[in-house]
Amino acid sequence: MAKALSLHNGVYLIIALALIIFPFVTESRTWTILLTQIFIFAILAMSYDLLLGYTGIVSFGHAMFFGIGAYSTGIFLKSFEPTLLYFILSIACGMVLAAIVSFFVGILTLRLKSHYFAMLTLALSGLFLVAAEKWRTLTYGNDGFTFRAPEIFQDRLVFYLVALGCLLASFVFLKRFVSSPMGRVLISLRENESRTASLGFKTLHYKVIASVAAGVIASLAGSLYAISLRFVNTSVMTMDITLDALLMTIIGGVGTLIGPILGAGVIELAQHYLSGLARENPIFERWIILFGILYILAVIFFPRGIAGGIQSLYLKLRGKKVGVHRSLKKRVVKS
Amino acid sequence: MANLLEMRNVHTYIGEYHILQGVDFTASAGQVSVLLGRNGAGKTTTLKTIMGLHPAKSGTILFEGKPIEKLSTHKIARSGLGYVPEDQGIFSTLTVEENIRVAMRDQSDATAKRINYVLELFPDLKKFWKKNGGNLSGGQKQMLSMARAFIQDSRLLLIDEPSKGLAPVVIGKVIEAIHELKKQSTIVLVEQNFRMASKVGDTFTLIDDGRTVHTGEMGYLIENEEMKRKYLGIG
Amino acid sequence: MELLINIFVNGLATGMLIFLLAAGLTLIFGLMDVLNFAHGGLFVWGAFAAVWTYTATDSFMLAILGALLTGVVLGFVTEKLIIAPVYGNHVQQILITLGFMLVLTEMIKVVFGPNQLAAGVPSYLAGSFEIGDVILIKYRLFIIVTGFVVFALIQFILKRTKIGLIVRAGVLNKDMVQALGIHIKKVFLYTFIAGAALAAFGGALMAPYSGVVYAEMGLEFGILAFIVVVIGGMGSLPGSLFAAILVGLAGSFMAYYVPDLSLAVNMILMAIVLIFRPQGLFAARG
Repeated sequence: MAKALSLHNGVYLIIALALIIFPFVTESRTWTILLTQIFIFAILAMSYDLLLGYTGIVSFGHAMFFGIGAYSTGIFLKSFEPTLLYFILSIACGMVLAAIVSFFVGILTLRLKSHYFAMLTLALSGLFLVAAEKWRTLTYGNDGFTFRAPEIFQDRLVFYLVALGCLLASFVFLKRFVSSPMGRVLISLRENESRTASLGFKTLHYKVIASVAAGVIASLAGSLYAISLRFVNTSVMTMDITLDALLMTIIGGVGTLIGPILGAGVIELAQHYLSGLARENPIFERWIILFGILYILAVIFFPRGIAGGIQSLYLKLRGKKVGVHRSLKKRVVKS
Repeated sequence: MANLLEMRNVHTYIGEYHILQGVDFTASAGQVSVLLGRNGAGKTTTLKTIMGLHPAKSGTILFEGKPIEKLSTHKIARSGLGYVPEDQGIFSTLTVEENIRVAMRDQSDATAKRINYVLELFPDLKKFWKKNGGNLSGGQKQMLSMARAFIQDSRLLLIDEPSKGLAPVVIGKVIEAIHELKKQSTIVLVEQNFRMASKVGDTFTLIDDGRTVHTGEMGYLIENEEMKRKYLGIG
Repeated sequence: MELLINIFVNGLATGMLIFLLAAGLTLIFGLMDVLNFAHGGLFVWGAFAAVWTYTATDSFMLAILGALLTGVVLGFVTEKLIIAPVYGNHVQQILITLGFMLVLTEMIKVVFGPNQLAAGVPSYLAGSFEIGDVILIKYRLFIIVTGFVVFALIQFILKRTKIGLIVRAGVLNKDMVQALGIHIKKVFLYTFIAGAALAAFGGALMAPYSGVVYAEMGLEFGILAFIVVVIGGMGSLPGSLFAAILVGLAGSFMAYYVPDLSLAVNMILMAIVLIFRPQGLFAARG
């Protein structure tokens, strides 16, 4: 087991190093920007995976935390000086706000059963969207506003490395989080909430902690997103952001953390290429159909997505019996 | 006597829990067979397994010689089994009449005759014909549930703990009803109340930890203090 | 006064359209315990099918038939392919139906093109009645009347027919209905198809009301229908009617008097209900 773990970590390390070196060996600006975008959405999708994959709750309101981060950074850098200090302060401010909001939202919503929870998170994030649209003195509504990023980010390469650093930090943090005793409780919550409760765990308490952690990390992703565009408008608060996170998490592999990163990569890349192809044939503008179908197939047949597929392929190649994850087993029984 | 129902080495899982771990059970035509055992021994699960509500994972269940363990619940019911669950399964916001109507499979004279028969057996149902099922007393719900199962021309009635939560006087009425229904149909009864079981049962099957541990004539169990103490905690 | 009446009629008509959507949703939830986030997709397909048929044939009746047929076919496919594999698992239901919603929305653009389509009102429903100073737009009255007729019809089916009786019994206790020898899966399928047809019908009526149809209105109205179902109590038909009218009227009055809040009012209504009375105003069970 220890050997397998260190092998895993070795692979992660190699990939991380490759990504760090990558922009120094290639000249391609397009790739640098594209990968930066992938890193940002990977952070968002991982934070969503903490909720969906590790705690077993479906939130329709994750965009509100992304939006809080994006607006914090945008407003800070527009209102004050576009310096690195204000950038860091804006991230901190977004995270604190997201923590506060997710704490109260969690307390209000997490008592409810899954679909009521989904609807209430949808409603609350809808209210945030309306607020962003109506509070025009601050947000300029749907038109949005541009702002200047700190000088140092003029170099795309620097921002690439910052985004990658944030991704790695979030990954390590979440990995530790889910393998801590706290994370174990969350997983057992997902498997069987009433049993976990009967063992004496305060389930609400644990779910709120998970949703705060997820909210804070989503806010970080939002801050980075704002910098990458140097522009913020209400689109950062819309359901589309939540749907993106959902697609990436499910297609990449729920409950794996590495899956959402893969999912973000696959979807962003495909979106990039397919919208390129759309210039030749408009059918490619409908790329979401392809992902929608993939997503549906993943929900029914491959609940562990790409990451789960790679894992079982790897185990098969090593001649091991493929261990069926417990959540998978349960889903198969139910379907 | 022919075996109307026969279970052989039946195993049932609920989720990941292995609840029935080898149940053998037979119900002979025309008799009242009682399933006995402690709380959680697997009696209710046995009935639900027969009905296909918790399908058997392995083993065979024969009804009138035909295997039914792979059939879905509605087909099992239609092959001639009536089910009276522990909570009576009354549709609470439907009237007594509507509860009966859900169970009616056709408008034939035979069905009408059976309905008249149960209404005579349980006059309370006639009295509260237009009342909501949820507003009936515990005993009346029990009667309605039995009536509903009976009017389907069921050759076997599965009745789960009919005495549960009822006053002694009402239990007396239920016992009478079972004696009466026995003339028309074979009955399998799950019962915690040993006094009641001993009054209506012809044979018994003892279930413990999901396994059949003993089966025989009711008279034998009544005499056997040790067995009662060991498996039922009474005596 | 005439202003108030106009706002009222407008709100009522919108409410009735939402009700048509919510009715199917609430029945499906009550009976099958399935939350169908793709319901709005069936609505928008109904709308497009109706507009397309109306443009092709110039017959409003055929347009409605076309929408109903689309609803029935899509309902059948959706139940078999999307819903049946995930019975009993709420999280998977939410995920899969949401994914299907995306697919349905995008498919609209493939089949009918990416642009919005204009929808006309048939001549016999165009225009308005004038009673004194009050102007009543015919088509809105038509929607309101149709809404009440549909409500009465569903109530009749539920209360007076055997299939309705089985549906009501199934909402209360599925296992018992099966143990009484009824093939509940078949009843599920019929209910789902009926719900889908109602949604498509709602879409067909919506098109001339709003004047244009566009793919994204499925999600918009789907969310509205959900809000209504949650407020009214999942599984309760009268609850949905009440909540649909409430949401329709609230939207219409707010749009006039406090336009800044009109977008938020539904969300606020639902949030309040969920926080203080999560089972909804008219709880179907318990």
